[in-house]
Amino acid sequence: MPSLSTRANLDRRIALKMLAASVAATMARCSRPDEEIIPYTNMPEGLVAGEPIRFATSLTLSGFARGVLAISVDGRPIKIEGNPRHPFSLGATDVFSEAEVLSLYDRDRSTAIYRNETVTTLADFMAAWRDASQSSSGGGMALVTGRVVSPTTLARIDALKRRFPDLRWYRYEPVNDDVSRSGSRLAFGRVVTSLQRWADADAILCLDADPLGPGPDQLRIARAYSSRRGGNKRQCIHVAEPVWTLTGASADFRLAAVPGEIREIARQIANDLGADLGEPRLSEPVRAFAQRASIQLRANRGRALVFTGEGQDAGMQALCHWINERLSAPIDYLSSPDAVENGHAEELSAFANDLHARRIHTLIVADANPVYDAPDALGVADGIANVSFTAHIGLHRDETSVCCKWHLPLSHALESWGDARAVDGTASLVQPLIRGLYETRTRDEYLALLAAEEIVNAYALTRATWQMPDNGWRKMLSDGVIANTAAKPMALSVARIPDFPYAKTNGLSLQLSPDPSLWDGRLANNAWLQECAKPFTRQVWGNAVQISPNDAAHLGLADQDTVTIAASGETFTAPMIVMPGQADGVIATNWGQGRLRAGRIGTSVGARVSGLGPHPFMRLLSGVTMSKSDKTVTFRSLQAHTKLAGRSEDLFQIATLTELAHIPKQQTLPSLLKAPPRGEYAWAMVIDTDACIGCNACVVACQAENNVPVVGPEEVSQGRDMHWLRVDSYLRPHNKTLRRGFEPVPCMHCELAPCEPVCPVEASVHDHDGLNVQVYNRCIGTRFCEANCPYKVRRFNWFDYSGDQAYADEGPALKAQHNPDVSARGRGVMEKCNYCLQRISRARKTAEKENREVSEGEIVTACQAACPTKAIHFGNLNDGKAKVSRLKQAPHHYILLAELNTRPRTTYLKRVYNSDDGE
Amino acid sequence: MREKEGDARWIGEGITSLEDINARIMAAIFAPAHTWRWWVALAFSGSLTLLMIVTVTWLFAHGIGIFGNNTTIVWGFPIANYVWWLGIGHAGTLISALLLLTRQKWRGSLNRFAETMTLFAASMAGLFPIFHLGRPYYLYWIVPYPNVQDVWPQWRSALVWDFWAVGTYITFSALFWYAGLIPDLAMLRERANSRFVRRLYGAFALGWRGSARHWQVHDRLYRYMAALAVPLVVSVHSIVSLDFAASLEPGWSDTIYPPYFVVGALYSGFAMVVVLAAALRWGCSFQPFITVRHFEVIARVLLTASIIMGVSYASEWFWGWYGGERSERHLVIFLFAGPYAPLYYCQLLFNVVVPQALWFTRVRRSIAAVVVISIIINIGMWLERILIVWATLSHDYLPSSWRIFLPTFWDWALLFGSLGAFMFLFLLFVRILPALPAHELRKLWIEENSA
Amino acid sequence: MAQLFRPGANSIAVVVIVAIFAIPTGAVALTYFIWHSPYATDQYITRAQPVPFSHAHHVGDLGLDCRMCHTGVEKAAFAGLPSTHICMTCHSQIWTNAQMLAPVRRSYATGKPLHWQRVNRLPDYVFFDHSIHVAKGIGCAVCHGPVQRMALMRQEQPLTMGWCLSCHRHPERHIRPKDEVFNMYWTQPADHAEQSRKLIAQYLIETSHLTDCSTCHR
Repeated sequence: MPSLSTRANLDRRIALKMLAASVAATMARCSRPDEEIIPYTNMPEGLVAGEPIRFATSLTLSGFARGVLAISVDGRPIKIEGNPRHPFSLGATDVFSEAEVLSLYDRDRSTAIYRNETVTTLADFMAAWRDASQSSSGGGMALVTGRVVSPTTLARIDALKRRFPDLRWYRYEPVNDDVSRSGSRLAFGRVVTSLQRWADADAILCLDADPLGPGPDQLRIARAYSSRRGGNKRQCIHVAEPVWTLTGASADFRLAAVPGEIREIARQIANDLGADLGEPRLSEPVRAFAQRASIQLRANRGRALVFTGEGQDAGMQALCHWINERLSAPIDYLSSPDAVENGHAEELSAFANDLHARRIHTLIVADANPVYDAPDALGVADGIANVSFTAHIGLHRDETSVCCKWHLPLSHALESWGDARAVDGTASLVQPLIRGLYETRTRDEYLALLAAEEIVNAYALTRATWQMPDNGWRKMLSDGVIANTAAKPMALSVARIPDFPYAKTNGLSLQLSPDPSLWDGRLANNAWLQECAKPFTRQVWGNAVQISPNDAAHLGLADQDTVTIAASGETFTAPMIVMPGQADGVIATNWGQGRLRAGRIGTSVGARVSGLGPHPFMRLLSGVTMSKSDKTVTFRSLQAHTKLAGRSEDLFQIATLTELAHIPKQQTLPSLLKAPPRGEYAWAMVIDTDACIGCNACVVACQAENNVPVVGPEEVSQGRDMHWLRVDSYLRPHNKTLRRGFEPVPCMHCELAPCEPVCPVEASVHDHDGLNVQVYNRCIGTRFCEANCPYKVRRFNWFDYSGDQAYADEGPALKAQHNPDVSARGRGVMEKCNYCLQRISRARKTAEKENREVSEGEIVTACQAACPTKAIHFGNLNDGKAKVSRLKQAPHHYILLAELNTRPRTTYLKRVYNSDDGE
Repeated sequence: MREKEGDARWIGEGITSLEDINARIMAAIFAPAHTWRWWVALAFSGSLTLLMIVTVTWLFAHGIGIFGNNTTIVWGFPIANYVWWLGIGHAGTLISALLLLTRQKWRGSLNRFAETMTLFAASMAGLFPIFHLGRPYYLYWIVPYPNVQDVWPQWRSALVWDFWAVGTYITFSALFWYAGLIPDLAMLRERANSRFVRRLYGAFALGWRGSARHWQVHDRLYRYMAALAVPLVVSVHSIVSLDFAASLEPGWSDTIYPPYFVVGALYSGFAMVVVLAAALRWGCSFQPFITVRHFEVIARVLLTASIIMGVSYASEWFWGWYGGERSERHLVIFLFAGPYAPLYYCQLLFNVVVPQALWFTRVRRSIAAVVVISIIINIGMWLERILIVWATLSHDYLPSSWRIFLPTFWDWALLFGSLGAFMFLFLLFVRILPALPAHELRKLWIEENSA
Repeated sequence: MAQLFRPGANSIAVVVIVAIFAIPTGAVALTYFIWHSPYATDQYITRAQPVPFSHAHHVGDLGLDCRMCHTGVEKAAFAGLPSTHICMTCHSQIWTNAQMLAPVRRSYATGKPLHWQRVNRLPDYVFFDHSIHVAKGIGCAVCHGPVQRMALMRQEQPLTMGWCLSCHRHPERHIRPKDEVFNMYWTQPADHAEQSRKLIAQYLIETSHLTDCSTCHR
């Protein structure tokens, strides 16, 4: 769509003007400044001013695509939603894609071409590049990128190679699949991507793996997971893991074990399946677990799955392939879309060696940050300093960028043309929603320039990759997926059982995993993600070391002490958090924090652990030591108490299938208060804690949809936050085991709302749809409503968080992202979840204009749309056939704090487990 | 024998004639002794007042985020200070009115400055709800007034009742205070030496001539007002207590709150009266008017109140346990074992244990002792107010939102600032108006000496 | 002793006492009055526009339909102002070199939009939607007045919340048949009372919801 760019340009001007006006207007109303209306000179057809439009595009995580629908109003992208057509979104989103829209408006994005510290022009750079590359056949020329699976980008790299035959391309991804790659090579003699068909499995065993955890494949598996909750034919999930993971929290049987023991479980199961790997060395609880799992798996041949993770070794991976083959597990083996043969760590090390051996004299780093990612042992920074010509292409002037002589600003995905592939190779297009906010270019464009190709425009380059007539192209754009581009499953068989030596465990080991909010750290400057609480610790703005209670006691350390960890010669300091249910002998923390040059938001938050270890990207460092530090690093969390003072049974409710059978029907208690009037709709929400995996997508989605501001680390340590929707994390002993669960808590929209009678100015009122609405412009900020809210779901603007006093001075930048359908709340005003009133009212008006009622599924709240497990249901209680109406009759339906008889419209479904004894 | 006689008198030695009374009381205004004490005190309280002004400016510039409140504990110091100050604001009018109706002779030495205390304390109290608002400039939305939006206040809200209660109370107390002041203003009019000052006092004296008819009308008016005042006083803190009682939070929604609050108010109010009485006695040499006996009777009141408070606390524990509601029980445990426990123990010690010393006559008759105990009681009562706010909000229904309150510098600044402002106003008062009702003391002296 | 006050003092005292009650009451009354007055509501003000566009001419004389220029009015919350192209569809044919149209032509040539001064303004926290009002039979004239007689555009109604509510509480007073919505000359029939009741039923207008805060604020 060529008209797009000009449109975006005009709209931006309008947007900014409107903003200026609106800012003026939302502040004191006493004097009304003149407002301007600036119409288009030429209105693009299909566009209605102020109305949202959805565009299908793709966002990548570690190079792999998740299809999304980006919502744009007047040419401003304001929200990301999932693309139902895309197999790795299925209409859902994860925290990372939700937050991308904020990264687009990130004020710290690099906006110009730099030569050292001075701004310069592309011409200068090209001149310098010609001097450096002329008459070169690419010898000593290096290109460093992340994982590249985009056909267009691969074509650019090929072109570059044609131009410079001896050019060496190093590709590495900090969060990678090295172990499973070498594992599959060991098993099948070739690198394959294994795509587990979770929904087809009845028995699942995860050995130190977290399939439900964050990652490019999360949404697909999560949806499959939820498709098997509820009903009677439920899956039986066994998880053995050292540290809590989302999968572990959802397991029927969870065992906390060190990686070494987990390895032995695999040995046990392999032996049960006819292998002879010697006597497994199992301590008692582990043996019992292994036996039950083994029986389960063998009882469900053809419908049994075994996962193992990057924390284990290639042998383990290979063995699990063998086991899965014996179980004829529902797995598709595909050729990996990542064509590069070498492992990621291997590539990065090779790069470092070549740097030190001075084999590189011309270096291009394209959208990668080796200086941060690589262990300090590799000394990448010094290495780069020795290179004569260095250029960095990136969104930020990051750690690597400042080591390079040249910096080229990269376009954000929402400003770019391009394409991408998903884990299974499904290709999808990337299309811009707005013309570049700054003079930036896409990676493809820069590479094309470097290769001196004749086409250097991303749109043309992308179309060149996908040769087809306009209508076909349009269809691809609107679908967001390109039909039959997924790799075909292959018939493979495991050559032989790999030899499987006993692992030796020595001392305390440190487990590293990607940050559930910041991933590998490239998103560190995203305030939404920094303030998105990690599922188990509920920590924000930093990373902590998790330790088991026994280890803590043994080391004489208390919860929230600041500790110093020494591993392989390097040390780091972080707060320590005691985590019941974690295996003794393993401590854990996350990558992605401790950025040195991320920007106003992300710089020097938390501790950098990617620098540890002799080799890059090690998931497990053994022989670490840990001691109390004399420094103090504050542990900032949004939820102080995860252990419930004896209240768990009614706050986070759990039932086993057997219990489910005979649960008495709960009836509504009588009340003296007069019930609010019932209009033609009665909106209600049911949240299925049985399906919820605690991924936080809903939280960030809510933040994006409702202009919810961030408050920043200082405010958080003051005990303040603004999330309308929080995911309470609960740890509760149930029968013989320790259960872990999540409970998303939005406003309950009580029919007898305690917040309403206490407001002196009627700012908190009920409407005829049963919504408990907050009228921001009427609120004077007595905060009686929140004081009297038993669920504590209301949030107060202690400062002008979304305006002049915004954290890190992000105010203006955030305003560009603001949803124009939602008021920006000023200082001193109470706010809270309103069931996405703007969406309700939009749907309602559409229906009324057509003289009909709003039908089921027409209104989808932001949290509901984001949820990968469809755990959130929303609808009209007056419609007996509506899903919510049916769910509220379900036996495992419950009301939070029912004894208060506030008659909430938001209610819950219990977490259900198959069996009573969970080990 | 003679000692007993002396005991029967409420006006001590040193007063030989009616003129003595007038002279001594006027002296505080026209010819003050040891003025330096007054200046030092004024300077001190003045600087605190300045601190308050700075704090409020900062508050309005930056928003109430400057206080320690957080997402869970949305109320903090301002609300506690409000309740505390209003409590202090109680004793004045009540002493004055109740003792008048019950014809207590010792009233005469206390009522004037006690009422003044009421006025200033209540005004301090009145400020805090405004300071605590997120958008103080919209305070007037609580008032029912015709507007272009066609919207009205929300009458079910205790905060609206509060507004009326406090507003009425302050207005009425002011009128009551003024009514009592008129004859003395007339006297000042006569005695002031500059014409301007005399005209000033004269204007407020409303042409009082002291005719028999004047006295008769004044007396009747004054008694009627007193009769109105008593129920009003009781109602005010009852309604304030509904800010908490009319909620469903554990530890707040509690039927005992109104009486419990009223007694608490009297308790702190009387304690403050003791402190001011001692200060006046010492500062304006009112020894003949404010005698040891006065302190002794107040001490008895304090003792009684302390016992009632003790019972109220105990009943909270009992009902917490007997009611069986889990959150209520946890709250009681939280008070005794939670992070606020030290404060709670102080509260019990200061409000219940320490005052038991007043059982002993020797303690009651030692002004120093009674004053110290009164100060302790005031601290204890403040602790009670802040804990009512903190404990419930820190530890209500959902453990996931339990948090702790951490006061900031500004929290303290506003508290002590208000104390300073109160003191400042009071100091100005003693130099402008008679701190004791000369006409009532004259009456008393005549009664005591006519026998 | 010299007289302290002259006899007049008494009357002064009385005046003062009366004033204590009279002044606050008067103040409130005055504020209320001013608040309602066009002075505060910005009614009847004509603002300087880049082009002296005359609704009187275009609507009154030529009888153009509102939707010709305000294209969004049936689809969206924002009725929309005509893009320069829409102006030029006619003015490339007629008045092609009228002096007063120079800004329009400039905008057309340069692609730089015209900057109009907003006339009918609502606060940002009010989410007014033209399309729904039009769809439910509320005529343009109800709020915008007789634009066909306005040489320069002005705000006809107070646009205060009370004014909005007056209609949201009694929509029957202002509702008209859908096909008359854009008719500037429509007048209420004699049997308006029962006609309007019919229309409200026919357009499925849920009157109870109309006065919910959430209808306009969010």
